[in-house]
Amino acid sequence: MSTYLKPWLLIPATAAALAGGLIWLSHLRYELSLETQRVTTEKKSIEQESNQLRLEIASLTRPERLRQYARDSLNMAPPSPMQVIHQ
Amino acid sequence: MISKEHTFIRRRIEAVAGILALGILMLGVRAVDLQWLQADHLTNLAEKQRYRQFTTVAPRGPILDQKGRILAKSIETPSIAAIAGEVPSDRINELAKVLGVSHKKLQHKLNKRKGFVWLARQVPPAVARKVMALNVPGVRQEAEWQRYHPLGPETGHLLGFVGIDGRGLEGIERTWNKQLSGESGLRQVRRDARGHSLPDGHWVREPAAGQAITLTLDASIQSIAYAALAEGVRNQNAKGGSVVVMRPQDGAILAMTSWPGYNPNSFRHYRPSDWRNRAITDVFEPGSTLKPFTVAAALESGRWQPDTQVYCEKGAMRIADYTIHDDHAEEWLDVTGVLVRSSNIGSAKMALDIGARPLHNMMEKAGFGRRSGTGLSGESSGIVLPPERWGPVETANIAFGQGIAVTPLQLATAFSVLANDGVHVTPSLFADQLGQHAPTRVISSTIAHQVTQMLEYATSEDGTGSQAVPAGYHVAGKTGTAQKPNPRGGYSKGKYNAVFAGFAPVNDPQLVIIVLVDEPQKSIYGGQVAAPIFRQIAESALPYLGIPARFDRHGDEQDLSNQTWRTMPIVAKESILDSESLFGMSMREVRHFSAQRGLRLHVHGSGWVIRQKPTATSGLKHGETLEVWLNE
Repeated sequence: MSTYLKPWLLIPATAAALAGGLIWLSHLRYELSLETQRVTTEKKSIEQESNQLRLEIASLTRPERLRQYARDSLNMAPPSPMQVIHQ
Repeated sequence: MISKEHTFIRRRIEAVAGILALGILMLGVRAVDLQWLQADHLTNLAEKQRYRQFTTVAPRGPILDQKGRILAKSIETPSIAAIAGEVPSDRINELAKVLGVSHKKLQHKLNKRKGFVWLARQVPPAVARKVMALNVPGVRQEAEWQRYHPLGPETGHLLGFVGIDGRGLEGIERTWNKQLSGESGLRQVRRDARGHSLPDGHWVREPAAGQAITLTLDASIQSIAYAALAEGVRNQNAKGGSVVVMRPQDGAILAMTSWPGYNPNSFRHYRPSDWRNRAITDVFEPGSTLKPFTVAAALESGRWQPDTQVYCEKGAMRIADYTIHDDHAEEWLDVTGVLVRSSNIGSAKMALDIGARPLHNMMEKAGFGRRSGTGLSGESSGIVLPPERWGPVETANIAFGQGIAVTPLQLATAFSVLANDGVHVTPSLFADQLGQHAPTRVISSTIAHQVTQMLEYATSEDGTGSQAVPAGYHVAGKTGTAQKPNPRGGYSKGKYNAVFAGFAPVNDPQLVIIVLVDEPQKSIYGGQVAAPIFRQIAESALPYLGIPARFDRHGDEQDLSNQTWRTMPIVAKESILDSESLFGMSMREVRHFSAQRGLRLHVHGSGWVIRQKPTATSGLKHGETLEVWLNE
């Protein structure tokens, strides 16, 4: 058995292992690239949604709307300056 | 025999060798052809197949108010495009139905050319999804950026709007288009056989997002000013108006608004004349609001003191062939009285006494006759004649605000001088530009203080501006009423501008407010038309800024917080901020609104209300029709 194990065999064995590793790494890189693309697209879509939600907040909390809501739904009236107390 | 056979074999070997040599030669020639002669072209072709370039559109920068609230922002919106030659004619009908356009119109668009055409730009995402679900060959979805101004008409004139190509066309959007615009990026990636991008992509050109701009504006004060102006203009059936609110210490513009308003989110529905920012583009004769500066120039000359007496000629005075009139005939008034009673004759006499040049210098140093320095496009510099052209009549007229034209912003800047202990500060709209210009002294602190005191008397019970004072505050201000010039060079009969310019609180001015109402119908006087608008803005904005109201007791001012608690009845008066706009309501809210009032509702689109017909809902009776347009 030991007659088949020659030191020079280490060279092709190492080369084969390295080649295999390289292929595995390349595959891993490719898979990661696909994952990155997917995550980037998701990130972009979340950013877009967040942008829209921010705008929606700005639109829903605009002073004119709050004023109308306070007056019509909560029956509030603007305070006169004397009714505003500061700490 | 053998030699014959040898010769044959040799020939065969030679022939084969020749063919092989020829083959090798041809391979060599081909190799040279491919690797050398056609190298550039083929490399190009290979790279085109392997590489792909993506354009990344950079969004336009947002515009924020001083507290970081969004005033303008871009959102990605789908648009529908097509390669016209690839769209089958039998599917145009269903495409037109989903897009909500007529078959004929869509056909016309597709017939214009064979290549790329826009079918519908910036459509709601729901429509885009429906179109893409049809799967019509040649039709595709593109991403575009749509600008949205959440405050709508309240900031319309100041911010302007953006065209469909993303370029600012009016207002701040136009003036600062370069900073706001982003620069699109170009990214190159390698693709595999299945079209997936490989990880070693690189930027050919990095995208640069548009810069955010933070304004000195306060959305709440802007909204307060807009609502008060709208109410005031409607009450008077006036043609229009504008308001500028400024912080005198650093020149920060807190609000700038005009009426009639327009909604920048649907600017095409309005006339271009409605788009202009009246607070900086329109000039008007300031009338009596200029008198404080005549008085300041007179005091500065040293020839006049606050208690110097002037004879007011019982209401009429002749200069050359021109007669000056006072609304209230007076005899002897001191300088304070001239301001409080708003005497034209008293002001004219002061101006004629000190001469044209000192008065002109005062106007110039206070900021009249030149652009204010905000950099806004379309700003007028106003009209101030050179002093060489100031004869006695002109000098007398200018002393009480005729023959000179100013913008509301210039008047705000000038009143800031009085509020700011005599120091002129350049007004600014941008938070990062505050304090960039060195302040300049226009009048001494003592004179500024004296004029302020006189202006406080002018808003007392005896003065013309008493309606400008909110309960619990002291206001220094001046009313003005000026006849409007007509195009023929004279004055229009019956067309007036009513103005109120002032600041509050007097002991530590925090707000300078200018109110201009154009052609009021019920009253022409600044004290009755513009002063109440000033009061409404001041009484809402001052508590909002944390400036407490004070009240006088036995002549002393005491802080309210030092008092024992008093219960205040809530006065159920009709709100000054009443509004009839459905703008921004959701479909559900509109349905609720119309159901409550028994109105017949017609709805177009989905999302939020962007337009309504009629614009005033209060006059609608049970069973009448309300039509609203919504947009996502």
